[in-house]
Amino acid sequence: MGEVILTMKGIDKSFPGVHALDHVDLEVRKGEVHALMGENGAGKSTLMKVLTGIYKKDSGTITYEGKEVEFHNTREAQDAGIVIVHQELNMLGDLTVAQNVFIGREFKKGIRIDDKKMNEEARKLFDRMHIDIDPTETMSRLTVGKQQMCEIAKAISHDAKVIIFDEPSAALTENEIEELFKIIRDLRKQGLGIVYISHRMDEIKVITDRVTVMRDGTYVGTLITKDSTKDDIINMMVGRVIYEDPKTQNMTPKGSPVVLKVDHLNAGKMVRDVSFELHKGEILGFSGLMGAGRTETMRALFGADPIDSGDIYINGKKVIIRSPQDAVRHGIGYLSEDRKRYGIVVQKTVAENTTMADLDDYSNGPFINKRKEHDVAEKFVKSLDTKTPGVDQLVVNLSGGNQQKVVIAKWLTRNSDILIFDEPTRGIDVGAKNEIYKLMNQLAAEGKAIIMVSSEMTEILRMSDRIVVMCEGKKTGELDISEATQENIMNMATREID
Amino acid sequence: MANKSVSKTAGTNRSFIDRMGGQKFIVLIIVIAMFIFFSAMSPGFRKYTTIVSILDYSYYIALMAIGVTFPLLTAGVDLSIGTGLICYSLIGGYLVVHQDWPVAAGMLVTVLMGVIFGVINGCLVALMDLPAFLATLCTCMITRGFGAFVVGGYGIPWPTATAPGGWFRSIFKIQVNGQNIPVGFLWIILLVIIMSFVLNHTKMGRYTLAIGSNKEATRLSGVNVKFYHVMAYVICGFFAGLAAIAYSAIFATVQPGSGAGFEMDAIGGAIVGGVSMTGGVGSVTGTLIGVFVICLLKTGLPFIGLTANWQQIITGLVLIVAVMIDIVKRKRESGK
Amino acid sequence: MESIKQNPLVKKVGFNRIVLCIVLLLLYALFCVLTGGSFLGTRRILSALNYAYFLGFLSLAVTFVIATGGIDFSIGPVMFCCALMAGFSFNIHGVPMGAALVISLVVGLAFGIFNGYLVAYWDVPSFITSMASMNIAKGLASVFTQTQSVSWPQLDGDGGWFRNLVTMNGIPVGLVILLVIAVICAVILNKTKMGRYILSLGSNKEAVRLSGVNVKKWEMSAYILCGLLVGIAAIFFVGAYTTVQPGYGDQYNNEAIAGCVMGGTSMAGGLASISGTIIGVLIISLLQEGIMALSLDKNLQLIITGVIVIVAVFADVVARRRKN
Repeated sequence: MGEVILTMKGIDKSFPGVHALDHVDLEVRKGEVHALMGENGAGKSTLMKVLTGIYKKDSGTITYEGKEVEFHNTREAQDAGIVIVHQELNMLGDLTVAQNVFIGREFKKGIRIDDKKMNEEARKLFDRMHIDIDPTETMSRLTVGKQQMCEIAKAISHDAKVIIFDEPSAALTENEIEELFKIIRDLRKQGLGIVYISHRMDEIKVITDRVTVMRDGTYVGTLITKDSTKDDIINMMVGRVIYEDPKTQNMTPKGSPVVLKVDHLNAGKMVRDVSFELHKGEILGFSGLMGAGRTETMRALFGADPIDSGDIYINGKKVIIRSPQDAVRHGIGYLSEDRKRYGIVVQKTVAENTTMADLDDYSNGPFINKRKEHDVAEKFVKSLDTKTPGVDQLVVNLSGGNQQKVVIAKWLTRNSDILIFDEPTRGIDVGAKNEIYKLMNQLAAEGKAIIMVSSEMTEILRMSDRIVVMCEGKKTGELDISEATQENIMNMATREID
Repeated sequence: MANKSVSKTAGTNRSFIDRMGGQKFIVLIIVIAMFIFFSAMSPGFRKYTTIVSILDYSYYIALMAIGVTFPLLTAGVDLSIGTGLICYSLIGGYLVVHQDWPVAAGMLVTVLMGVIFGVINGCLVALMDLPAFLATLCTCMITRGFGAFVVGGYGIPWPTATAPGGWFRSIFKIQVNGQNIPVGFLWIILLVIIMSFVLNHTKMGRYTLAIGSNKEATRLSGVNVKFYHVMAYVICGFFAGLAAIAYSAIFATVQPGSGAGFEMDAIGGAIVGGVSMTGGVGSVTGTLIGVFVICLLKTGLPFIGLTANWQQIITGLVLIVAVMIDIVKRKRESGK
Repeated sequence: MESIKQNPLVKKVGFNRIVLCIVLLLLYALFCVLTGGSFLGTRRILSALNYAYFLGFLSLAVTFVIATGGIDFSIGPVMFCCALMAGFSFNIHGVPMGAALVISLVVGLAFGIFNGYLVAYWDVPSFITSMASMNIAKGLASVFTQTQSVSWPQLDGDGGWFRNLVTMNGIPVGLVILLVIAVICAVILNKTKMGRYILSLGSNKEAVRLSGVNVKKWEMSAYILCGLLVGIAAIFFVGAYTTVQPGYGDQYNNEAIAGCVMGGTSMAGGLASISGTIIGVLIISLLQEGIMALSLDKNLQLIITGVIVIVAVFADVVARRRKN
């Protein structure tokens, strides 16, 4: 490790209603890989966005190469040599690989863009990274992994001194991760400072030199990776509560009937030959890495995306699901990972959202029975303990946890027996999380069958009766909670299938 | 891994049609087929004068279409080009006919007006975030009102070919031994070459495609997205100005209140030529070929006994079909 | 300012609508002053109302489409197409007046179905269908009438009874019909499933679809209703202005959209106000009448409405930006 290249000190940032960063520190040296860890919502991405000028900090200082700096946009940060490889890919699908890599700083010959030189430079870059990508290929034709490599190539080509990797491995296969690590080690050798954001403990141990841990927008501490254990880091990440009442045994009543059976489901390239069963009163966890095809499976099952082949049985009877309408009619409710886009209509009221899936039962002919609608919304606000000034409140004004409750109310109003919770607590603060968990357990106890897709290992281990693990569109394992550990789940989630 | 080989095979696996330019190639064949069809159906169509008149018709549409390709590629649109064209021509012509300005100055004003409205459209869309179709629908009405307002509601006859100042008409058509030579076509070809270059080999074009492909990602790459987004509309306005000159040079009189519907010929041409409604995909040469589909319909249908009104209906349907093909193609690609 | 907005009475009526009413009154006062009082009589008001009828129906029509997050700027030419085809059928083919009126509605409906089907079931952008329909409507009307203008019968002529729908013995029956239909529209929008789904899908189509709602059907229904209202607008247009010419009608698109967006309907979809639309239409109609009364160039109207739409939509964009 060399000298300090970047210091962030006392960084503070608030958004309306959220104190996203509370005096956070970070120090990066030349030639080190510095892990930035923390649970979802700990503020890692926000910190990096402050660094690269996407957000403006409220207070604190950033010292880079010995000078205090403040970047106003990513361009300024890039020009100074700080580059971010984004979690969500920022690709221009219609342009070629080389055009993507050099977007914003094209080589020119007079007024002409020198595509030939850009292709050559891109090829050199890829050669240096030992990866095989044709620079003239259209970006959208590449696999996600290759697209990620292009993003990294783009970052490197900026003559970067500090590169931030924001969960780079999330969508990669194991081979691709190996390639990525080779590249990162190379960069380290060249004396770059690297910030590596990830959730994966095993990666942290393999690739990083130091670890800075954040929790709920605060700085917890920095450790030397090789001198610390996984438990040290986990302890810092989660505070004292590691696994709050984890499930140790399957709570589903013995002999509980199968309500949903999915048989050899295929849909697009992300859902390949998936089969599983779901029992009444059961919480079935779906674990896997980002891009494992879990959400896609649920969407296909729910009729949101077309199914290529496979059968679905509900209560033993084969059903055809071609649209969400069909799924809802068969008693399935879907709570999307992205509530704002797929779950609620934010500009409508709590009551209007509550009856969205079951308006026929709250209408007389074509007319809506507002009294009845109001009553049912009131009922669920009370029973789910939704915090809202009233059922006529626009949903946009509620917090994430309460919005989630409105979505739950929507499906309970419809009386759905099978509920698919896709990342049920994403973007929801800790207190509200527990409430959602309690609610899910309660629903299961009442005999609802629940599928829970979650990327948080703690959540999977805490909530599930059984666990299905997926990797690259395929089911790679199925575990009873009594035999499930982080290790064997992670093993299945990263299994190379061929 | 099956999907790892995708990038390698995709390069070599492109079909013959893809290698020939994809949709462009198919549309070119359609143009030729249409030409052969009309020629076979009607002896009148086969005449040299007919070809010249098809070309005459094509100039202003082609110029509008080249221009509107840029906003379309940013996933926007400019609906004001048709009425704009008339407005710019009226104002330029008004200065020439009623204020005795030299024709060259009038032409300059005409193009300048186009640029000004291009800037206005660009600001409304790129800086003020108005939906492109709505902002330009408004400027469509405004240019229509403004042109008629300035000239007081009367048609403007730009100088005839033989009158003083009539030289500008020979930009598009010269007479040699009593035969009309459609030199305008050469200008169109030249402009297509230039704008193809701009689109494919300059920052302006690259960023136009990038904005249409993913505006936010382009912004995060440090590109001055607002500037280039505005510029796409400025280019469009500039070409609408050029189209105004072509229109003035071909037709005897410019009537206030007309021009509505011209934009559909141009946008239809661009879309038929392979410009995607969602931006990011398309070419200037494709647009030109697409324009000829529209122009052949416009000029060819009367020869097989259908009135010009049918052309309006059929162009509307062609536009819908072209967009549907684009939609189906995109769906299939994303489904892969 | 804020305190006025928070006043319960203001909240109930809607701040935006109160402002619009004030604008309407001020505009009227302005014209009274500028025309030296000739605006005070009922003549000008009745004349402005004549304009407000057809424009009101057009504006109501497009309100539903805009509520879904779409647009329809084929309504003007389609209205002309309805009037031309129905009128031509009456004049030349000798269909009875009652049937002619039905033809007008049917033509409007047909365009509504065409647009709605393409937008809802094919995902064709609504401005493309608008552009295509606009030209198809113009072409179709021209083909049908052989490019002849069509004059509808006078009150004392054969079949002239239909004019009683607009004015009967000097009583503005049209106003009553417009208001009744506006109330029906408001009921549809606010009290029925159809309205709920239209507004919801305008706000977030995917979320509504994932609630198991047949969004395609409901999206299409907005366009169909739009088409029907355009057919009605055609009847009131010829009831007031008698003669229609093929190839025109686009100038009314913008005025209808202007009335709608001024009234507080958001271009982004999901938010619509029928009463706002009606007040907006009255403002536009008064403006038109004022420009006529002052013998100003009628092209000013085009420019002014264009600017009004830009300003109204920009205000909406800013309001949304501030919310996020």
